Parts: sequence; C-alpha cells; structure tokens
Amino acid sequence: MRNVCVIAGGQSVWGARQASERDMFQEAGKAAFEENPAVTNKDIDGLIVGSAYTERCSFQTHLAPVVAESLGIRPVNICCRVELLCATGSSGIILADAMIRSGKADVVMVIGGEKLFTPQRWEVNYSELASVDHDWDGTQGLGLPPPVFSAVAQQHMKLYGTTEEQLAMVSVKNRRNGLNNKKGQYQEAITLEQAMNARAIVRPMKLFDCCPVTDGAAAIILAAEEKAKYLTDKPLVYIRGTGQATLHNMSANMRNWSTWESLRIAAKQAYAKAGVTAKDVNVAQTHDCFTISEIIETEDLGFCEKGEGGPFVQAGQSDFGGQVPINTDGGLLSCGHPFGATGIRQGIEIMHQLRGDAVRQVEGARIGLTHNLSGFIAAHTVLIYGRDLA
Amino acid sequence: MSIVEGKYSATMDMWPLQSKEMTRIHPFYDNLKEGRFTTTSCRDCGTRAFPPRVVCPECLSENLEYVDLPLKGKVLIVTEEEVGVPVGFETPLIHAMIELDDQLTVFARVMNCKMGDLKEGDEVKLVVYPVDPLPVDGKKGAINLQERVFYAFEKA
Ligand SMILES: [Zn+2]
Repeated sequence: MRNVCVIAGGQSVWGARQASERDMFQEAGKAAFEENPAVTNKDIDGLIVGSAYTERCSFQTHLAPVVAESLGIRPVNICCRVELLCATGSSGIILADAMIRSGKADVVMVIGGEKLFTPQRWEVNYSELASVDHDWDGTQGLGLPPPVFSAVAQQHMKLYGTTEEQLAMVSVKNRRNGLNNKKGQYQEAITLEQAMNARAIVRPMKLFDCCPVTDGAAAIILAAEEKAKYLTDKPLVYIRGTGQATLHNMSANMRNWSTWESLRIAAKQAYAKAGVTAKDVNVAQTHDCFTISEIIETEDLGFCEKGEGGPFVQAGQSDFGGQVPINTDGGLLSCGHPFGATGIRQGIEIMHQLRGDAVRQVEGARIGLTHNLSGFIAAHTVLIYGRDLA
Repeated sequence: MSIVEGKYSATMDMWPLQSKEMTRIHPFYDNLKEGRFTTTSCRDCGTRAFPPRVVCPECLSENLEYVDLPLKGKVLIVTEEEVGVPVGFETPLIHAMIELDDQLTVFARVMNCKMGDLKEGDEVKLVVYPVDPLPVDGKKGAINLQERVFYAFEKA
C-alpha cells in the first residue's frame, strides 16, 4: 500500500455570499492550486465533490462533472460526488486516501461546498427537515438541530455538572482563534459576558453557542507520496489513519446522548491505524457545531476523562499553550459551516499547522486530528495527520 | 403566474406518503388514524423495531407483525425552541425526550404547551392530528386528495 500526502488546500471566503454554488467551487479550486503552484488542474486524475444540499438549494444533481468542467479538471480515474451531510468533506478525504493508497488514482482533489442562503430564509430551515430522518424526526419539527444539542447539553450538565459558563468559554475561545482568519464568516471576538447574555435559541443553547448558516467551499489535494515529492516543495503532511462509525440515525435509536459511542469507535480505529494515542495529538479541529459538541468531543476523543470536558476548556487545555489546542482557525463557531466544505476546511488547517505555516501556529505540531460529525449525531469521522510516517 | 402553481412537489412535502399505493408500512398510518401507536415486531427473533420496517433489522426476516406501543410516557428532558423554527411550526416549539417503556425513548414535539409548562417527570400522551392531505393524479385530470395524519404528544 502506498503512503498518502496532503499537498495543497484552499477555500473561498465563507459567509453570506453574493455568489452561486458554482462560483464558490471555482474560487475554492483556484485557491487550492494557488496555494501550491507546483500542482495544476492538469495533474488531477481523481475528483471527489461533496455537497449535501446541492439539489435543494442549487437545483443541480450530477454535480461532480459540473465542477470538473468549471475548473478545467479532466479526471481520468474517478469523478463522483459524496454526501454525508455535515461530515461530507472528511468522508471525501477518507475515500480519496483509500483510492490513492490502493493505486486507483495518484492525485485526487476533494472539493466540497454549499450554497445555503436562498432568496427567502425560510427555505433553509425547511430543507433542514430532510437532514434528520425526514419521515420520523423531521415531522416532529426537528429541522435546525438546536433542540437536539440542547437535550445533549442538559443531559451532560445533569450527569457531569457541566456549566453554561463552560459552554460559553468554547465560543469565546473559538471566536478569538478566528480573529485573523480572513476566510472565516466572523472575525470579531466575543466576551464571556456577551456569550452568557446572548439571546436564547433553545436554552441552554444561546446565539453564540450555535454555528451559523454559511455559504462557502473548500478544496484539498492529496497525492501518492512518490508523486507528492515532485508536486510540492513544502514539508510533506501524511494521512496516518482514518476512522468512521455510524450506530444509528433516528433519534429514538440513539442510546446515549451524552457519550458518543460512534465517535469513540471512529477515534479508536484512527488512533490504531496511525499508531498514536490521544496524548500524542498536538493540534485538533473538532466539530464544534455547538459549544457542547466540542466539550463532548474532547472527552470521547480521549483528550480528557469522561465528564471532564467542561473543566478542560475552563483550564485552557484546549487553547494555545494547553494540552491540545482545538479549532485553531476558529472552528465552525467562527468560520461557519457550509456542510460539504467543513471537513475539508479542517484538513487544510491541519495541513498548515503541521507544515508550520498556520495563521495562528501551534509551535512544533507534528500530529494533527480532525473530527467531523453528521446529522442526528449519527456518523462520526476521525482523521489523523502526521508530519512524519510511523 | 408561476408555472408551478397548483402543482404538488414531493421535495416540498414534509409529511410521509402514507397510503398503500405509496408505502408498505401503511398499516402504521392506518392504525394511527384509529388512535393506535404501533410498530413492527419480528415473529422469528422477537425484535421490536421503531420506526416500523418491512425487514427485521436484527435477523432480516420479513415475518413481521404490528404491535401496540404505549400511548403515554414520562418526560425526561424538555427543550423550548424560541427562534428560527421551520415553516409550519410556531414558537415556542417544544420537544421532549419521552420514555415510553423500558425499550423505547422518543424525542418528539409536545403540542398545546406554553413556555415553562412542561417539566421533567410530567406524564404526556399521544396526540394524532390531521396534516396536509396528499394530492394524487386521478383519471381525466382529476386530483384526488388523500387524508393524512401524524402524531405528537401533549400533557396528560
Ligand atoms: Zn428478527
């Protein structure tokens, strides 16, 4: 089996964009090629395109050939779309990694994006009813996920004593991390008081506890190690291990809401393949769709004991200078969350961190982790990147 | 005038198709119309699944029967959505994690309820209500409306 490296990555500006889905895919692809001029659209032999709402918001299926054509890519080995809602991007990277490892392709671009702002805002909330189990959970009005994460937070608070202040600390940290990220949706810091006093969405989830609605796209390029050596002058960043698990979909079949068993399984797989443990991770991008999510992720990824996620953020252990800086580019809470692009944005930030050229750099980082979840906390995806091979 | 005026579009339908022409689990909806909350149970391995299936998710048998679920449950967690609810729902949109029996906990909408009214430990009961009927093409351009229902809960 071959080794796989990340050789380039870039994204469009994220936010409420005056642009179409097609425009943003072109912006992200160009940004990736510009980030590493040694690789061009002519080098790509595999293209994986990720988008969850393309039919609903942009009225286009069969999206991958559209993106290939618009970027002048002529993939001769594989050209297809992948969709796993919020975990679409990282799932695309897992597939690209497997293809290159097995010899099916040599240089694969994984590009994902989402156009969520439609002329009338109600339609996004309405479309969200299809993100959960449409026939059984969507019918209960479970579109936008705040009620779900409110229930998760309440359960975690009851079981482990997690406080609203600890939740707020996650958004204060991630907003601060996103300050100089010119591609993110927000570049303003918030104070703990602002977070605590913000308007309620679904208590205890308040405005800054929830990630926003976002338009945007991101692209990352992976290559077999021997190709990568010709296609970049920058330090090689390896994909060391990947894992993904799904144990349920509908709410009634989620056994435990405050310990995410499928995340623990995915993490175990990824750590084992990478030959590392949670203690070896120097920097992580986790799926902070809500503040409570990041707290539970620090526990179920093994960065701290179960139930200690609140004290972990409070003690600064997930901040710069702590045990493992998390969401160093601002995360979903600051960058926003165009579903198909988020897992790719996470991979790009880890690429920069391991090369040593991130906007906010974790000094000497050599092992990086990304975690992406989807839907009713249904599927979890974990990738481990390394500056070195095992 | 819009070219879609008067047209039914499946992508904009938030309710499931319920008739025997459209789904093999139509008995669930037939039972619901009679006030019964049911699901499928496997005659071969005994697994009671929710939602109902046409194939047992445990042993893959198709030898299934409809069984009744409790109509009352106990509230474990309450959430009150204050802004941004999907069209068709009003704020506050209240949901609860409801323990129906020792095998099944559902996360469902609680209707006819004000902010602060519902608490952990409260008893709730099933409520069946009519939803948008389904317009189906008939002969000679006729449109036939099929009645549809769905369920939520309310304070017992
Ligand atoms: Zn069975």
